Amino acid sequence: MSEKKLHEDQKYIDGLLQNNSFIIQAIYDRFVPKVVNYIKQNSGSVDAAQDVIQDTLMTIYNQANQNKLQLTCPFDAYFFLLCKRKWLNQLKKSSNREVTINEDVLSKDDKAQELAFETSVFGEKESLFAEMFQKLGTACKELLQATFKIKSMEEVANSLGVTYAYARKKKSLCIGKLTELIKASPKFNQLNS
Amino acid sequence: MGEQDYILYEKYLSGDMPKEEMMSFEERLKTDSDFNNAFQLYKETSSFLKHTLEKEDERTKFKENLQKISRAHFSKASDNQGKKTKPFNLYKYAVAACVVLLFGLFMFNQFSTPTYSDYSNYGTISLTVRGENDALLQTAETAFNKKDFAKADKAFKSLIVLDENNAELKLYRAIANIELNNFETADTLLDSLQKGNSVYKYKATWYLALSKLKQHETEECSAILKTIPKDVEEYKVAQKLIKKLD
Repeated sequence: MSEKKLHEDQKYIDGLLQNNSFIIQAIYDRFVPKVVNYIKQNSGSVDAAQDVIQDTLMTIYNQANQNKLQLTCPFDAYFFLLCKRKWLNQLKKSSNREVTINEDVLSKDDKAQELAFETSVFGEKESLFAEMFQKLGTACKELLQATFKIKSMEEVANSLGVTYAYARKKKSLCIGKLTELIKASPKFNQLNS
Repeated sequence: MGEQDYILYEKYLSGDMPKEEMMSFEERLKTDSDFNNAFQLYKETSSFLKHTLEKEDERTKFKENLQKISRAHFSKASDNQGKKTKPFNLYKYAVAACVVLLFGLFMFNQFSTPTYSDYSNYGTISLTVRGENDALLQTAETAFNKKDFAKADKAFKSLIVLDENNAELKLYRAIANIELNNFETADTLLDSLQKGNSVYKYKATWYLALSKLKQHETEECSAILKTIPKDVEEYKVAQKLIKKLD
């Protein structure tokens, strides 16, 4: 990753990550109108556009937070492609057709396409993981929440009134359970194929 | 995969595995593809949980801020549209009147000297909730947006004491001080921001120029504007202002 040349628009990604109001405002002023127009021209409403845009920015934020999103293309193109893809997927879903992630001619050297593709796969995965997490039993959910928030397993064990060994065993089994739920979902196979 | 495998994965990932066990674990990853696939998914799931649960608060704050800005943006956009589509019988006259008015404004703008208020366009601000100083941030934000700049300045001053490297707060405090005609405070703040490397570097340059404009120091204003490079957001409007000042 590091040998790729960063685009100067990385400032938008960094700004989102810092929750910088000026930058978020600038994104709305500069890049959002184009997306709204596109969605309006493709059987969508302004409200739908507002949601798509908000979700997309959330996904970018999460990806940047998780694996250091490095922008190698203009933000404009990247952001527009992401919103467009999200909107087309929603259209397909609501018209009950089969949802496939449709590639408009993806050539490897088209950085914006490639990056937008990565981010949207990330977003799909993330929502799948979150959905499956909700399906875990309460005990598992609480244990995992405690584990990752408190960090020290000793403290977690103390707060839950169990031994350290038991808490750690439980943690691994709960994560294991979650991986099984994820694997069993049809969406997972689509994403990994 | 069985429970034993999950326990092994966790042990490996937490770095608690003795060296010999680790070597045979890694060997198995290479040779047993089911074991390896299950491990990769376990690792990914664990990392997802780590990021989602660990940074839940930060993410909530970001989401709230995003929603606020989004709502403001879209309500502004729909206002504008509402005005455009309002039916008006005498629209021809209205158009004619607008043309005359626009022409008048245009002429006026061409020949009048530019002033600070023509260019200060900071709008309303929205400060995100960070840590313990929520109430103070709220005070600063509300005062600033209500144009009670004296109160805003006081709040910003206290906030900066607590968070002395926060460029965003410094910029807002400087703007409040320009509004209050406390140019010395404003210019000192802006000057330090302008020399720094924050994302507000050129915003600060722009406002420093506007401060000079408000102080009727036209030449200095122009000189500062010329330091704004081409690839910066403020470049175009800076160039326009330079032309008017000449």
